[in-house]
Amino acid sequence: MRTVLLASLRTHTRRYVAAAVAVVIGVAFVVVTGMLSASARSGMTASVGVPYAGADVVVTGLDGPDARDLVRDAAGRGDRAAVIGSTAERARVGGRLLPDNVTVGAVADDERLQWQEVREGRLPAAPSEVAVDVNAAKTDRVGLGDTVRLGAGDRTVEAEVVGLVDTPSAAPGTDFLLTFADLETFVDGLWVTSVVYAGPGADSVQDRTDGDVVAAADHVQAVQADVTRGVDVLAAMLLVFAAIALFVSVLVIANTFTILFAQRARDFALLRCVGATREQVLRSVRLEALALAVVASVTGVVAGTALGALVIAVVRRSVDDDVLGSAMPSARWYVAALATGLVVTLVAAWLPTRRATAADPLSALRPHDVDVRTTAGRVRVALGVVALAGGCALLALAMASHEVVPMLAGGIVSFSGLLLLGPVLVPAAVRLAGALASRLAGTPGRIATGNAVRNPRRTAATTASLLVGVTLTTAVLIGLASSRHTVEEEMDQQYPVDLTMTSDTPLPDDLLGDVRATSGVVDAVALPGTTARIVGQGPVTLLAAPRGTTGVLRGDAGVASPGPGEVWLPDGLLTEWPANGRVTLEVEGRTRTLSLNTGEGWGPAAVVAPATLAALTDASTPRAVWARADDGADAEDLAGDLDALAVPAGAELVSSLGERGWVDTQLDVLTATVVGLLGIAVVIALIGIGNTLGLSVLERGRENALLRALGLTRRQLRATLAVEGLLLSLVATVVGVVVGAAYAWVALRTMVDVLTDDAAMVLPWWQLALVVVVAGLAGLASSVLPTRRAVRTAPAAGLGMD
Amino acid sequence: MTTTTPSHPVPAAAAGHPGTAATARGLTRVHGRGDAAVHALRGVDLDLPAGRFTAVMGPSGSGKSTLMHCLAGLDTPTSGIVEVAGRALAGMDDTALTLFRREHVGFVFQAFNLLPMLSAGQNIVLPLELAGRRLTGSVKERHDLVVDVLGLRDRLGHRPAELSGGQQQRVAIARALVTEPAIVFADEPTGNLDSAASAEVLGFLRRSVRELGQTVVMVTHELDAAAYADDVVVLADGAVRRHLVDPTADELVAALRGEQVR
Ligand SMILES: Nc1ncnc2c1ncn2[C@@H]1O[C@H](COP(=O)(O)OP(=O)(O)O)[C@@H](O)[C@H]1O
Ligand SMILES: [Mg+2]
Repeated sequence: MRTVLLASLRTHTRRYVAAAVAVVIGVAFVVVTGMLSASARSGMTASVGVPYAGADVVVTGLDGPDARDLVRDAAGRGDRAAVIGSTAERARVGGRLLPDNVTVGAVADDERLQWQEVREGRLPAAPSEVAVDVNAAKTDRVGLGDTVRLGAGDRTVEAEVVGLVDTPSAAPGTDFLLTFADLETFVDGLWVTSVVYAGPGADSVQDRTDGDVVAAADHVQAVQADVTRGVDVLAAMLLVFAAIALFVSVLVIANTFTILFAQRARDFALLRCVGATREQVLRSVRLEALALAVVASVTGVVAGTALGALVIAVVRRSVDDDVLGSAMPSARWYVAALATGLVVTLVAAWLPTRRATAADPLSALRPHDVDVRTTAGRVRVALGVVALAGGCALLALAMASHEVVPMLAGGIVSFSGLLLLGPVLVPAAVRLAGALASRLAGTPGRIATGNAVRNPRRTAATTASLLVGVTLTTAVLIGLASSRHTVEEEMDQQYPVDLTMTSDTPLPDDLLGDVRATSGVVDAVALPGTTARIVGQGPVTLLAAPRGTTGVLRGDAGVASPGPGEVWLPDGLLTEWPANGRVTLEVEGRTRTLSLNTGEGWGPAAVVAPATLAALTDASTPRAVWARADDGADAEDLAGDLDALAVPAGAELVSSLGERGWVDTQLDVLTATVVGLLGIAVVIALIGIGNTLGLSVLERGRENALLRALGLTRRQLRATLAVEGLLLSLVATVVGVVVGAAYAWVALRTMVDVLTDDAAMVLPWWQLALVVVVAGLAGLASSVLPTRRAVRTAPAAGLGMD
Repeated sequence: MTTTTPSHPVPAAAAGHPGTAATARGLTRVHGRGDAAVHALRGVDLDLPAGRFTAVMGPSGSGKSTLMHCLAGLDTPTSGIVEVAGRALAGMDDTALTLFRREHVGFVFQAFNLLPMLSAGQNIVLPLELAGRRLTGSVKERHDLVVDVLGLRDRLGHRPAELSGGQQQRVAIARALVTEPAIVFADEPTGNLDSAASAEVLGFLRRSVRELGQTVVMVTHELDAAAYADDVVVLADGAVRRHLVDPTADELVAALRGEQVR
């Protein structure tokens, strides 16, 4: 049997290429994931402990003022303490307003607790000195000697840039570093990660603070454990995509084996006639599968290692970061990846090999062509119907109970049902599409349709792999588009106005016209106002939001558009929420008590209805201009242009475009990442389609030759194959898009309905259209190689083919 | 297995006779069921003598191939018994039948005899390899003898696709003979060949009987082919009409013509 095995391997290697490629990609995916996670884990855990190097204990759970008190207390005792924390502030470099808020922290006062690496200059040592993170310096164009103004209103710090520093990426770094004395300006809004403490008093810290005190080493370990968990979760998520790719590989490989074995049925039967037992034939084909599995898996590990090393090298070079360490995954990863490749291939080969060797020896003696027509078995159809119905029931249950587990189970079961019903459903869909193809492409279209449906099980198996990829891609695209919609509504609440200029003095009359004339501004309104006093608090700029404001406000949540008797105050303006939920405003002796709303995104001002303002003062003057930006406007340019108008007018500009853009970018990146990862599965599926076409071409050599002999032109033959590839991929894609949309809808009803009442399903038409077009083109492309082979064969040679 | 007790009792002398390579008694084979049932064989009684070249003739559809498949253990009879090389095939499972074929039966088919990915030489030794036998000693002698008798010495390295139809059939014959089987079945081995190649292949089959002492049973519907045989079995409608021993050409023609007239 060894001669047969070796000869088979030699002869059929080329036909296994597609199956092998599928395994290689899947295994390489697993290896790359392992390398990236090991490398990220080592890189991040190495740097995460850096800030705690000089500390004896670490205190967590403190707010800004507590932390300040502890640092002062330590200084009083001769101990050393420093705050690791940050606050988000607006920044001006020279006179230029930075579009986004920057993070501001402090260096430790004592050198022994300082951990930032100085790249240029030095760390701030005295008030009015600031150091800038090298990356922030690059994006914000800040250099040594520049004057930076941080903060707004009466809480500002002006400082000169004295140094550029680098912070290990996993450590809590900030864009700007002040001395702690300067950072105290922002202490109320300071987000404190921890306070590091060293010195003889370290033992008694717990007696002097409400925070949690732990030994520095223990804290570092805990943080490292957190980071490791985070990386592991990411790795697990990547592995989910690897699993999808591998599942698609199983479908492709199983289909390849089924087709190849169908073509070799006579070989197997002849072997049985001349004395090979069923076990011998079975062993031989399984060894063949094993050989493929070993070669493909090893290739996958090698390719994955090379690719992983490349990715890590590129990331380390280009991102100028030490996120990625040099650690390699443990041997277990490689073993697991290798084993996965072997198992996937062997599992995929199991059924086809068994079916192939069940062939009865007599079939070798029948002189006619190999019969490769198959139909859907009745059992299979019954099973499919049951699975589909059961899965849908589970999905309905999931929607009713808002439980994720029945949703996932229902999704898997119903999709399995769909795949089982494929031999019935797919040919029907192909016929439907084929009717159109015949109209458009004439004879080649008709032949292509006939070829595509003549073997329902093969057709279904071929399209199944693409169906998996497209269904998942569609569901993800719709899910992300829908959550983007929800996020955008949230953003509209958080940032109701794109750009505001607010002043505590009257604004010049021509400012509104200038703002409106600025390119990138869609609309702007001037808001009348005055300076008021919040009784018991202090002065505040008071604005009235007139009717016209609605053209500028985003969303319809009613943020910053108060009704009569209402006032909107910026978050954090009141140190304490009034017990009755009402505040009293006073302007030159006239008072109004109003019900209080708080929010953010319209600048440092209180907003009331026009009637309220009229009741408080007769002499209102323009105090603010609110502007709405064009959707495509460049956040930085626009903020710069408007700042140039605001500064001479004595107004303060606040822009939310940067934050909006950031969230948008995050969602774009997420979408691109998920689609990219699913794309791997789609690529494998397309290889599978090309493979089926290629093998079918081999099988139909005689038939194609006969067609050519009867007058089918080379062009028409080419068209026939192209149409067949197109039909298969388009049917899979369209069905996948529809099914994916259904699943997305179920997921939305199950998971998002609980969070918001009206989670609308958003169909990203352009993206979905792109999916269909890309799949169609790929289907065409997958027919290129098979076509070349088919048209190369001369009719005479084809007719003589065995 | 649905073998029933044969309607004809088997004469002990005939069934176990050392001079008999294969025996059939009351052999029936029905394809399908009910209205669609096709009676390919309707009670065949036959003794095929060892060391002779027997041709099985008859019109198309008369059951020649079915008879051969049943005799060779490739097909399971509906009823009746088959004995080959003194062993009853009834009751053997698939593996036992396979091992039996490997040991005692050789085949030559009309077409598709050879595995396309193996060379001629590899195809010839395939049955030996399947049985785990090494090409040494007497096995090697036999192999060399067969290869030389069939004139395949300089063709062993060729792939089937590089051989003519006649050469392919010679390779198939060599493969059938290499295990020294008790009986060789050939189903229309010349059906796809031109007359020159046919003559060559038939000549080799006869030589294997004369010089190697093999038993060969050949299905054919060509009178010319039958002329190479020692004995001729004439089949009609799934039953044996005549079993002619050393017929003259006239006797044969008469037997066949008689068939057609009847
Ligand atoms: N697998 C089968 N199923 C149904 N009928 C069959 C099958 N094999 C053979 N037959 C029928 O049995 C009869 C005998 O066939 P066969 O032995 O091949 O005849 P011959 O070889 O003499 O031409 C024919 O009528 C044929 O149609
Ligand atoms: Mg026949």
